This record gives sequence, structure tokens and C-alpha cells, in this order.
Amino acid sequence: MKPGLTAAEAGLISCEACGLLVRPAHADEPGYCPRCDAELEFRRHNSVQRTWALIIAAAVCYLPANILPIMISNQLGRVEEDTIISGVILLYNTGSAVLAGIVLIASVVIPLAKLIALSYLLITVQRGSVRKNRDRAKLYRLVEIVGRWSMLDVFVATFIVALIQLQPLMAIMPGMGVMFFGAVVVLTMLAAESFDPRLIWDSSKGRWDDDE
Amino acid sequence: MSDKTDPMDFPQAVAVRKKRMRFSVVWIIPLVAAAVALGIAVQSYLSKGPTITIVFKEAEGLEAGKTYVKYKDIHVGQVSAVKLSDDFSKILVTAKIDKSAENLIVEDSKFWVMRPQVTLSGISGIGTILSGNYIGIDPGKSKTKSKHFTGLEVPPPITSGQPGREFLLRADDLGSLGIGAPLYYRRLNVGQVIAYDLGKDGKSFEIKIFVHAPYDQFVLPDTRFWQASGIDVSMGAEGLTVKTQSVLSVLVGGIAFETPADAAPSEPAPANAAFTLHGDRKAAFAKIETVSSRFVCFFNESIRGLSVGAPVTILGIPVGEVVYSGLDLNPATFGLRPRVEIMAYPMRIMAQQTRDAASRKLPTAQERRNVIDRMVERGLRAQLQTGSLISGQLFVALGYFPDAPKARVNWSHDPPELPVMPGGLGRYEEKILAILTKLEEMPLEEISRDLRKVLGTLDQGLQDVNRMVNRVDGEIVPDVKKTLGTLDRTLEDADKMLIRVDGEIVPGVKKMLEDLQGAVAAAQRVLANTDSALLGPDAPAQQELRDALQEIARAARGMRVLTDYLERNPEALIRGKN
Repeated sequence: MKPGLTAAEAGLISCEACGLLVRPAHADEPGYCPRCDAELEFRRHNSVQRTWALIIAAAVCYLPANILPIMISNQLGRVEEDTIISGVILLYNTGSAVLAGIVLIASVVIPLAKLIALSYLLITVQRGSVRKNRDRAKLYRLVEIVGRWSMLDVFVATFIVALIQLQPLMAIMPGMGVMFFGAVVVLTMLAAESFDPRLIWDSSKGRWDDDE
Repeated sequence: MSDKTDPMDFPQAVAVRKKRMRFSVVWIIPLVAAAVALGIAVQSYLSKGPTITIVFKEAEGLEAGKTYVKYKDIHVGQVSAVKLSDDFSKILVTAKIDKSAENLIVEDSKFWVMRPQVTLSGISGIGTILSGNYIGIDPGKSKTKSKHFTGLEVPPPITSGQPGREFLLRADDLGSLGIGAPLYYRRLNVGQVIAYDLGKDGKSFEIKIFVHAPYDQFVLPDTRFWQASGIDVSMGAEGLTVKTQSVLSVLVGGIAFETPADAAPSEPAPANAAFTLHGDRKAAFAKIETVSSRFVCFFNESIRGLSVGAPVTILGIPVGEVVYSGLDLNPATFGLRPRVEIMAYPMRIMAQQTRDAASRKLPTAQERRNVIDRMVERGLRAQLQTGSLISGQLFVALGYFPDAPKARVNWSHDPPELPVMPGGLGRYEEKILAILTKLEEMPLEEISRDLRKVLGTLDQGLQDVNRMVNRVDGEIVPDVKKTLGTLDRTLEDADKMLIRVDGEIVPGVKKMLEDLQGAVAAAQRVLANTDSALLGPDAPAQQELRDALQEIARAARGMRVLTDYLERNPEALIRGKN
């Protein structure tokens, strides 16, 4: 058995749900897992195309998410609209540099980094690159883990809006930005989900990493 | 189990034939996202209204990005920049107006900075203490758009949206009125002063007022407006009367209006109609005279206390007023006399005849002259009278003095002269003066001399009388006694003769003699009575006469004292003895 052999190359297919190695019913239509009844796929269907679509959608949403206000606060008739960036600047100006950094990283840098990372993975997969396969796999895992934490902003906004409703004195309303921001987070999570990391190795022709 | 795994050892998948699309449905997601984002972008572009510049003198409380433009408390825009003008004299405020409020921004729209404001008539803009100042708009009526405006320094008291009407008042004096001063209709606050302006000639004010609907319909063409500022204190038959509109109007001034009850019913006055603002209610309700005749009166007395505006009355009813008072120099004699010109309103005298509305036509000048001629003929004279003894205010009273010397009105002069009658205090003064003059003319010394002479004569007369009485006492009474004695003797002789005759003459004679004797006795009795009543030293008649004479002597003494005193102090006749 040669070291770089993949299940697909061996004509086998692994169930993604229970891990059972199965002989596909047909080369084009692998069928369902006989053990757990999950749909079998050699590689996730249209993985690249679907991921691209989601990434583009996320990128489209990323712009309004940062331009439009995420919170509209009304303090005694004085209305203020805050975008993510203005919030960060406010935090930084009031001396909370650490908090400002956290918000900036979680809300601005990470979604952008995810988009860039996924795009990088897709491009390399499409080009059949074999370089730094293991780093790319690590990158993918990082993207997947970190994704959900970006929702923190949305949670905070939701909580504040729900809690601070002291009508004549102060009220906070969600802005359009929070919708787009939520969409960015969800879309990037879905994009990460729809990316099939096994594609990274398909072009390696037996070599797991060009560093070896 | 061998090293080599047989692929056939792996379980076979369950086969299902399924159609797969080459093109993934997932592409709908970015399309939808793009559509939504684009939609928002387009919407925000379309909702972008005009950007305007407003010039203010001060930028107090204006902040770029924080100050809003509000109309009826609704956000219609936001200040995007506040900067100084090129010459640093003003503030240029740039504001972005929402598309929805675009039509509010027209040529004659007004802008002002709403700040908290505390005035006597109220507090406004409290909300801005907390929310910050904002720029208010009063949209104009013009259709022309504009981008450059000059802001007002104070908010307009009435914004154009409020129902009601504006009117114009003309006044000589602003009084204590200010912008926002209340307007009262039967003491109900129905509007306010919204602007005032000194006329171009600097002699009168033009005051703009706003009357809220529905009270604006009570402003008729005949409505009178007057200053309700301050307190009107009047002293009348009912005592002291204090009239005010409201405490507020006492403090900040105000205007009241009312339509006279006898005004002809008419349509409400049109907006911006002009009215006169009177000083007080009385002046406002004074009849507006259609006919007036000017007369001049030359009072030959001091007119101190007569002011312009003093009433001219007939039987206490005002029929005119004094319009001018000054001096008049007679060029022939260089004598000065006060010249008082009065304005009489003949309609007040003749109104009764023309009460009938159908025949309400004004009498002609000739008719009026005839009436006045007749009245003067019957003794109509102008007279100065004192309105108040305390203040010495005078007024001109017209009254009838049938005894007055004849006079005629010379209509060829302008104004014609109305004959006068010295009057009021002046009349008393004149009378007193006349008395004094007469007193002065009185030959007091001669009188006293004569009086003394008379008294001397009287004294002498009395002495004579006394003497005579004494003489009567001393001379006449003995004579009478002697006479009686003689008579007695005669009677005795007669008696003797009778006794002699007795024999010869019938007893009838005797009887006659007896009768005679009775008569003599009676006479004797009478004489005795006379003696005691008239001639005796204690006779009552004599006593009374003496008393009377003494009384006269006393009176004469008193008179002498009086005349002596008067001679020394003639003024005592006026002032009395002090």
C-alpha cells in the first residue's frame, strides 16, 4: 500500500457521519451509508462553488456591516448612531484600549481574515497547489473553530437593545449594520462548513506535504 | 486476514439515483445579499436630501454630527459642519436635510437655534437642556427652493402652521409691549405680539399681532385695540376702582381688544388689516368723530391746570376736547391773553336727530353754524371750570348764561371765536376782587367821621331828652298841681255858689253839679294815674325810654370800635378778625 493513497483513489468512500469505510454503490452516485444512512460523497458536492458563493455573499455583506450603524442610542433626545468602528474608537478614546482591541479583532479583523483565508484555500485547491498542505489544513481548522466567536458582537447588541429600553430617558435600537454583520458571520461559518478540507490533499499525488 | 484488503470486503453503499444540478442553488445567497446591500445603497442615495447653509451669529450649542434640524419635533436633518465665515463675523452651519423634508426648505423658510428660554410669559425649549440645542424650521410658503439661509436669533413666537390671522396695529408708543406679549379678548389670552417695528419716520410703531383661530373671527373692522399694560386706577362715585387685565399683563404688558356693542355686524376683518392701538380702553371706545368743528376761546384768566386733551362738556357730557392752548398777543394793545382752541364734535349734540339710520346724513356746515348761532344767541358761553379742586385740573364747560352780554360768532375767522364767560375759580376770584375794590372805594374815614358826628348828635339828643324829662319832672308837675288846686278852689266857689243857688235853682242843677263832681273826680283819678305812669320818677315809660337810650349808646360805642378797627385793618372784612 503506497503511502499517499486516499480512499477515493482506492475506490472506497468514508462516511462523514460515522466514519465507516464503504464501497460506493456507483462511481457517480455513491449512495447512502449502510450503517448510519448518511449520504455518502467522495468529496462534498460542489464544495468549491458553494464556498465561493458564500464567501462572495459574506464579502458583499461585510461592507454595509461596517458602514451602517449597528446601534442607535437615544439618550434624552440626543440620538447617536454607532458603527463597529466608531464603537472601537470610542472604547479606545475612553481608555479601554484592551477592550477596543478585542472588539476590533473579533468584529473586524476575524471576519475579514476568515474571508481571506477561505479564499486562499479555495484558490490553492483550484490551482491544485501542493505546497504547505498541512499549514493549510491547520488554517482551515482555525477558521472553523474561530468562526462562531464572531457572533459575540451580535449577542452584545441584542442584549443591550433588549435591556436598555428606558423609554423617555434612554433607548437603544438595532441598526441595519447588525443584520449585515450577523449575515457575515453566518455566511462565513457556512462557507467554512461547505469547504471540503479533503480537497487540500487531492492534488498531492501521494505527497502529504512538500516540506517532507 | 491478509495484508491486502479486498475492496469487496467493504460494505456496499445503498444506491439511490439522484439528479444533481451542475449549477449550485447556493449562488442565490450572494445574489440576495448583493441585492439587499445594493437596495440599501440606492435607498440611502435616494433619501439624501438637499444640503443647506444657514448663517447664524453664534454657534452656541451647535455641533457637527450632533445637532439636528427639527420640524415639529421630528428630525428632518442633521448639522454636518459648523464653521466660521471668511470674515470671521458669522457662523456657517451646513446641514443635511432628509429627502422627505425637502419641501420644507424653500426660499422663505425660517431657521433658528432652539435654546432653553425663560421669559416672563413662559419657559420654552426645556427639552433642549437635556437633548442639546437644535435648529428649528418654520417652512415658508414659497415654491422656490433655496440652499442659503440666514438664521433668526430668536425663535419666532408663531410658526406658520398655526391657524389664525395676523393683524397690524399702529401705536404712537410701544408701552411695555414686547414680542410674545399676550393679547386678550375678554381677558382670555387669544394671541400675542409677534413683531414690532418703529416706522420709517420714527414716529409710530407698527406692531404685528397674531390671533389664534377661532378667536380671529372676533376681530371685526370696527374692533378697538388698546394697551392693557399696567394698572388703571380710577376714582369714581363707587370709590376707588383698579382695573387690570391679568397679573401677567401688568408685568409684561399686553393688548386687549373688543368690538363696541353698537358696532354694525360685519364680516371678520381680513388678515393683516391695520388697526390703531389706543392707550386705554376709554380712548379706544371714544367715538370716532366724523364731524368736528374747531373753535377758539380767549379766556381772560389764567388757564393754569388746563391741558391739551381736557374735555369740553355741556351739562357734564363731553362734546369735545382742548386741542391747543397757548398765548395770543394782541398786536394793537400788546396785551397777552391765553388762546385755547377746542375741537367740538357737533354730532354728539345733534346725534339724537340723526339716530334714525335711514336719515343718517351729516348736517351741512351751514346747518351746524345755524345751530351754534342760535345757541350762542340764547347765551351759550365757554367757561373754565375746575375738574378737581385738589389737582386744579381745568376743563372747558359750555353752558347757557342768559344774562351774559350779547355776543355773536364771527364765522369769517378760522377758527371762529366762541364767546366766553369768566368762570370757575376765576369767577369767584373776580367777585372777591370786585368786593375788595368796592371796599377800597368806600370812604371809610368819612363814614366813621359821620358816624362819630351822628353819635355825638345822638348823644346830645339823648341828653336833651333827659333834660326835658327832668324839666317835666320839675316844672310841669307843680304847675299841674297848682292848676288842680285852682280848680279845686273854683269848685269850692262853685259849690258855694250852688248852695246859694240851691234854694233858687231846681235840684236838677244840684244833680248836674254832682255829675260834674264825679267827672272831676274821674279827671283827678286820671291825672293821678298819669302822674304815676308818665311823670313819676319810677314811671315805667320813662324807665323804658332810658333803657333804650342806653342801649343805643352802647351800640354806638360798638360801632365806633368797629370803625376804628376797620380803619386800621380794612382787610379784616375779608379775612375776619384775627
